Amino acid sequence: MKALRRMRQDWVLYAMLALPILYFVIFHVIPLYGMKLAFQDYRILGDHVWVGWKHFNVLFSSPAFASVMQNTIIISLMKIIFVFPIPIALSLLINEVRSSKYRKYVQSVVYLPHFLSWVVIAGIWISLLNPTEGGVNLIGNFFGLPSVDYMTSKDHIRWVFVVSEIWRSAGWDSIIYLAAIMKISPGLYEAAKIDGATRLQQMTFITLPHLYSTIVTVFILNLGFFMNAGFDQVFNFMNDSVISVVDILDTYVYRIGIGNGQFAYATAASLFKGVIGIVLILGTHFISKRISGKGVW
Amino acid sequence: MKKVSLVLIIAMLVTVIAACSSNSNSPGSNQPSNEPGTASPNPSADPVTLKIVYKDEGTANPVSVKFFETLEKALKEDEGLNVKFELVDLAQGSYAENLNLLLLGGTIPDIIYFQGGDQQISEQGLLEDLTPYIEQSKYVKDIIEPHNATRMASYPYLLWIKPLASKTPVVRADWLNAMDSSKALLADPTIDNYYAFFKELVEKKPGGDKPGYALTAAGDIAEINFIFNSAFGLDTTWLKKEDGTYEYSKVSQNEKEKLAFYNKLYNEGLLDPQFITKQWDTKEDAFYKGDAAVITGTAGKIIDLYDGRMKELNGDGANLVVLPPAKGVAQGFGATDVTKESRGLAISSQSKHKDAAFQVFDYLASPKGQMLDRLGFENEHYTVADGQIELNDKYYSEWYARFWEPLEMKSETPLKTPLLGEPGTSSLQAAADFYTEDNNFIIPEQYIANWDAMNNLYKEYATDFITGKKNLSEFDKFVEAWNAAGGTDITKYANENIK
Repeated sequence: MKALRRMRQDWVLYAMLALPILYFVIFHVIPLYGMKLAFQDYRILGDHVWVGWKHFNVLFSSPAFASVMQNTIIISLMKIIFVFPIPIALSLLINEVRSSKYRKYVQSVVYLPHFLSWVVIAGIWISLLNPTEGGVNLIGNFFGLPSVDYMTSKDHIRWVFVVSEIWRSAGWDSIIYLAAIMKISPGLYEAAKIDGATRLQQMTFITLPHLYSTIVTVFILNLGFFMNAGFDQVFNFMNDSVISVVDILDTYVYRIGIGNGQFAYATAASLFKGVIGIVLILGTHFISKRISGKGVW
Repeated sequence: MKKVSLVLIIAMLVTVIAACSSNSNSPGSNQPSNEPGTASPNPSADPVTLKIVYKDEGTANPVSVKFFETLEKALKEDEGLNVKFELVDLAQGSYAENLNLLLLGGTIPDIIYFQGGDQQISEQGLLEDLTPYIEQSKYVKDIIEPHNATRMASYPYLLWIKPLASKTPVVRADWLNAMDSSKALLADPTIDNYYAFFKELVEKKPGGDKPGYALTAAGDIAEINFIFNSAFGLDTTWLKKEDGTYEYSKVSQNEKEKLAFYNKLYNEGLLDPQFITKQWDTKEDAFYKGDAAVITGTAGKIIDLYDGRMKELNGDGANLVVLPPAKGVAQGFGATDVTKESRGLAISSQSKHKDAAFQVFDYLASPKGQMLDRLGFENEHYTVADGQIELNDKYYSEWYARFWEPLEMKSETPLKTPLLGEPGTSSLQAAADFYTEDNNFIIPEQYIANWDAMNNLYKEYATDFITGKKNLSEFDKFVEAWNAAGGTDITKYANENIK
């Protein structure tokens, strides 16, 4: 009753919540019902046929499954290890820029790549990494390094994913950390200054600890997308020379499931990815809760 | 608060599930009767509405709207067929995916254009077998090309009367004429003569410092194979061995020899070192700028478009010449897949107006229908003067036939200007001259996942062999890996099923 009374009091706030809730219901809750397709053979005419685990069995027994799973895990792990910390570092660095004009300029520049599609980014990076005329190799050559065909090299292509992902998303992803930094009380910094703390010490002992819960939350939520590995990026960067090291679950499902109109098969793969995502989120949340007392909720 | 939230969430989920359940009656329960389509609509009665879904032909395209309005009038005047077309708009993005979603969602237009993904739909009985309609047709049966007839015999759901879509190699005439080796190439296009021609192009550089390389392609070797596959004896997907059994062409010794030749072209700078990362637009750009001397393009209109663009950028002397396919064990642009049309128009088996839909197809095959579909609108794309049709620039730069394009067009009024330019016409003629049928088959569903893995294995090994990342001595290792990935099973299936 108390809660209802409070809801009545804050009805404007709850009304404002209605649209986001509607969005999640339409685009995230209702589609869950469609997940039953993973256990059916879809029929346009007549009743759908219940086939149980058939599509999962086909997925798991496919000769390419082990390889695409391995690629998905490796690429995702590389991104989590090397891409995830960059926005944190970037937000700390932007926070240290004293001139507000220069800070705004830096922010605009680093946010910009986020608005480009992967099709455009792939074109830019293919040109940049061209072994004969590309900027990267020309700089390398200037320092006496041999040209490398990064786009067709099985040893380098995953690193191209990591670096291009950083280039595209580091700036945009740093916004959430910058917002958290803005919430830190200036009094803490003033007290630290009076105590003689250097800027590095202020960053290490004030800013970072205050970012901790944001970092943990973002990290745990990111794990939910662990199995995604970046379809748009991989699809646009992929070429015949490197298929075996970059073909991920999403590109595989796109070819077999969507390309051949096997939507039930694609749904099964999607459900499999979703379950792994949930397990990772819940697992990390509870581990984090136990260790640090902080989690997503 | 927690209890209230819980109640709200449960209420929301119940509403959602109820909403979904109320709509969960299968589309089949609402299907119309399977009786044949109704007879031709009476011209004086209300028009029959034919829903049509076609790539890029939506209500937002004014040319499409005008075309179908003109077609409605023509059908009424010439055939007494009173129909109204309703164009179905699809979301932006991949047409095949969006179309599949439309159909799987239960919206089934009367006439459907497919660009892949049709097999799944036809397996569910949603597409009408067009064989009896074609047999009883007035015009379609007369304009159907031999490859269309073979395809319709094995897969009678898609109709697509178009010329063969082989890719043919082209080169600028001024560069071709400047080469000493060109005469030998045109007279006797052996693999060696092609090699000599490529070599001379790169060494002599007829464009000053261009071309940088002789040949390029968009992303893989499929386009280059149109020139060389037959010369290396790779003239069918499954090659018949001396013992009478079949082996997959891509794991044969002929393939190994071809890859060795491509590797030679690559090492000597005759093949674009960046062909693997090229897209269709960067490939064409390299050709127009002179970085590449030879590319392949789809025979017909596409070759004409290349020709027009090349002349626009480099002058009339840079008109394109179609090169012959390489000659060796055999000669040709490769065997044509006749298992089924890869794209085309279908009639829904659930349509109440199947006969009317096919009557539209048949009218478009008639001389009057062909005039509208292939020549565009009078006084806009062509004019009639002195009893002859004269096509204008707008026709050449904008118009394309939405339906049938038999190689030979029967027009009531003679054409003063040709339908295609010189290179477009000669490319189509060359494609027709070298037409042979492939012996491939539709991959059964149980092999699709394996087939994908095997194809990827081939693509990666082939590019590694060409670029020298792997030595061709490892070809047998590739064959072993291919067999292990499912090649043994599919070869067994091929030997049991190829007649």
